[in-house]
Amino acid sequence: MDELELLKKDWKKQEQGLPKLSYNEIYQMILQKSSSMVKWIFIISILEFVLWFSIDIGARLSSSYSKVEDLGMGGFSIFTMVISYSVLLYFMIKFYNNYKKIQTTDSAKVLMQNILNTRKTVRHYVWVNLTVLGAIVISTILYMLFFTDEFTKALSGGVVPVISVIIVAIIITLLFIGLLALVYRFVYGILTRRLKQNYKELEKLDL
Amino acid sequence: MNKELEHNFVTNLEQNQNIVHKVCRIYTSDKESHNDLFQEITIQLWKAYPKFRGDAKFSTWMYRVALNTAITLYRKSKRSIKTADLDSLSFRIKADEYDDEVEQQLKLMYAAVKQLNDIEKALVFLYLEDKSYKEISETMGISEVNARVKMNRVKTKLKKILNP
Repeated sequence: MDELELLKKDWKKQEQGLPKLSYNEIYQMILQKSSSMVKWIFIISILEFVLWFSIDIGARLSSSYSKVEDLGMGGFSIFTMVISYSVLLYFMIKFYNNYKKIQTTDSAKVLMQNILNTRKTVRHYVWVNLTVLGAIVISTILYMLFFTDEFTKALSGGVVPVISVIIVAIIITLLFIGLLALVYRFVYGILTRRLKQNYKELEKLDL
Repeated sequence: MNKELEHNFVTNLEQNQNIVHKVCRIYTSDKESHNDLFQEITIQLWKAYPKFRGDAKFSTWMYRVALNTAITLYRKSKRSIKTADLDSLSFRIKADEYDDEVEQQLKLMYAAVKQLNDIEKALVFLYLEDKSYKEISETMGISEVNARVKMNRVKTKLKKILNP
């Protein structure tokens, strides 16, 4: 006899041994809060939006941006502000729409796909932010080096060669972004490892 | 209205709770995680309930939400300790109805099922529940042919675990 058939026969007999919860016990359960993965993904995603956005706001409120304005880059600062607000808005809407799509009544594959898409939106937001951040830092440094008196004077004094200042600045920026990306990958990895494994398994089936 | 909805839901779930318990049996190995998963499935069922329309059977609808919760949404809580091997052996309770050889084989079968991955467990579970390949494919979101192919592979895998 097929082993699985044997198991099937036994499986039906198992029913008598299953726990039996009362009406009240079940009722108590629906009053509890979920601790599902989707909920955590939602919370962490919102935290990410808040974190990255507050870094931006913080930079604006602190003196770092007024320095930029002093350098005659006020127009540039407004430009980046418009960009970052529209980027945030775009990603929040996308995130919300994806999140709404998550339904436990979908098939396993569609459900997993929707959860992964929701995460992907947030990940893209972080990447866009990191890129914009890097671009702003580097272009500000370059601007300061070439177009502001203070720095051009210092440089023409010949104490430090321009090229090395640029290289060091770029390396530091890239290191900083790389480090953030690493931390991010780690957190993201823990959160979705099992989900990704299962999704891959399902995808493999449909090849 | 809300009270009525609550009452209908709890009554329905109380009558069909075996389905949820069986999903918990396949996916957890100790009593505590069993209860933990049961609770999470109940919450997810309740959250999805307002959208449940009578056109499907309550139990059919339950399979989907319960399995989705077990495979995708459930995060094992820290307190669950791995006791899989011990537990899968004591998984069965009604031992006296079988002769020793069958008994031994069943014990090994349950232990083997515990070694499968989450997706394979879901397939085996639906198979044990006598679901058609059409239903299996719809629940998992894969084609019927692939559900069949995979099921055969799982059977082979189980055989291999049992007769290495």
